[in-house]
Amino acid sequence: MTDATDPQVLATFELTKSFGGVRAVDNATVAFQAGRINAVIGPNGSGKTTFFNCITGMIKPDSGTVEYRGRPVTGKSPDRIASAGIGRSFQLCRIFPQMTVLENVLAAARPANIGAMLRAPHRRSPDVARARDLLVRVGLDHLENSTADRISYGQQKLLELAGVLMADPETIMLDEPAGGVNPAVIDRLASLILDLNAEGRTFIIVEHNMSLVMSLSHHVVVFDRGRPIVEGSPAMVQAHPAVLEAYLGV
Amino acid sequence: MLSVSRVVRIVTLLVVAVAVVTFPQWAPNPYILSAGVVVLIYATLSTSWNFVGGFTGYMSIGHAAWFGLGAYGTGLLIARLDIPSFAALFISAAIVGLIAIPVGLAALRVRGISFVIVTVALLLVLQLVFQGLADLTGGSQGLVVPRPFPDLLRPEHHAVFFLIFTALLAVNLVAWWAIDRSRFGLRLKAIREDEDKAQALGIPTRAYKLSMFVVSGVLAALAGGLYALWFGDLDPIFVFSILFSVYAVLMALVGGIRHLFGPVLGAVIVGVGAEFFKAGFGDTQLHLVLTGGLLAVVVLFMPDGLIPAARDLIDRFRPQQSSIREVTVEQLREAERQGNAGIDAQEVGK
Repeated sequence: MTDATDPQVLATFELTKSFGGVRAVDNATVAFQAGRINAVIGPNGSGKTTFFNCITGMIKPDSGTVEYRGRPVTGKSPDRIASAGIGRSFQLCRIFPQMTVLENVLAAARPANIGAMLRAPHRRSPDVARARDLLVRVGLDHLENSTADRISYGQQKLLELAGVLMADPETIMLDEPAGGVNPAVIDRLASLILDLNAEGRTFIIVEHNMSLVMSLSHHVVVFDRGRPIVEGSPAMVQAHPAVLEAYLGV
Repeated sequence: MLSVSRVVRIVTLLVVAVAVVTFPQWAPNPYILSAGVVVLIYATLSTSWNFVGGFTGYMSIGHAAWFGLGAYGTGLLIARLDIPSFAALFISAAIVGLIAIPVGLAALRVRGISFVIVTVALLLVLQLVFQGLADLTGGSQGLVVPRPFPDLLRPEHHAVFFLIFTALLAVNLVAWWAIDRSRFGLRLKAIREDEDKAQALGIPTRAYKLSMFVVSGVLAALAGGLYALWFGDLDPIFVFSILFSVYAVLMALVGGIRHLFGPVLGAVIVGVGAEFFKAGFGDTQLHLVLTGGLLAVVVLFMPDGLIPAARDLIDRFRPQQSSIREVTVEQLREAERQGNAGIDAQEVGK
């Protein structure tokens, strides 16, 4: 468990995003500390994914700011935010379907210079070796030459994580990593998240699987109607009346 | 050691290259030779289109805009400023490259059908502008471009330009091949597959797309400039023709946009077919009906194009690889020993 005095890595200030008359994210001010596994939970439609998309530049917020490591990244393009050190996965798993499993991972590697960019990825190049190591780590090395659309959904989730890791982000945002996958893959994902966190990576995870959230997270933020209503340790959040009301209406 | 299939590929490539380069010697008559030049123009234009369409998935229907700008740039530099023919060709292509930067910055902000509409609009606007500026461009009266080799007879002129267009096509193909196998190409293909995902992985998609847009424009401008030098007379209705653009796209689709030789094969099929029907049926527009029919057949039955369809057909007769679901008892035991059995066994059922 990381110490609570770790520096703040990512923070949003009064972040707001509306779609028509619906305020999907409503003045959300949240801070995440470095080195932790943070979870963002809440009922369906509470604005978690929109909050993610505003942070990662997929959607421009109407107002408010996002700071990463003390620097504003609000409204920057997703590739610049990714280059700053934030990697992300998507709620509905997104891979490059016509590319092989190995190419999917390799695509995320940043070539060191123009010369490297214009060369073919050689079998023995460091990036290929690293991509293969990551495939071993997520258990997909035996499928490296399969096209990505031919592997199962659970394997695609693992492939998506391997791609994110190839870009070597300090902070990893996972949007429902356990959604639609079987318990064995969930166990593998949980174990990977714990290992990667132990190596120093910060996680921010949107997830509906409460047992996974409670077993992994150091810090939980609960969203309801676009704004954070409660945050704290998993045990505190679980027992909080406002959380029970948001989820159960009691 | 080279594999048999690689040797077959290299030999086939060499035979085709020799046949193409010697075509001016064995072409039965000057008309066939000029038709060969037309097919090469189509192949060059379609291959240049494939730098954007094939790598990034952005479907431009206004690609002839760059061809027309290259043609008029070359023609005007020669006719109005007396610049030597081939210097004018390269200056014109460089100018088109500069123009393509702001146009690309604006056009590539939108995707899908919006991008298609922007490119069509660009083409039609340029057509109107070049028609309207009659004092400069000759308008619908045409612009006469002095020939670079005035002493050559017409068959020799066709033969020389056949070889020049072949060289330009070779440059196009080598550049496409080099990008296709590079890390840059891999990341471009990631944009084609899922642009948002590619961006989330840190790929600067706008810069990547823009670079291909400019390269594609410059190569099309070179083809247009050569066309001006070869044909010697420019008309905005033809060089900025929407039909010409659609042909370039259709040819790439017919052959296969994800394959190096797809646009070339498409150009040979569609170009030869169009010339055949124009020669046989004159002004009946039958070639347009058949072109539409060909497009329908390709979209319905070979959405990835002829080359991938042929490859799939050949693969059917090869020994089949075992499915990832078919594992031996020994492999299962090995997976279990390594702790992977749970995942694979449960994933099989999905």
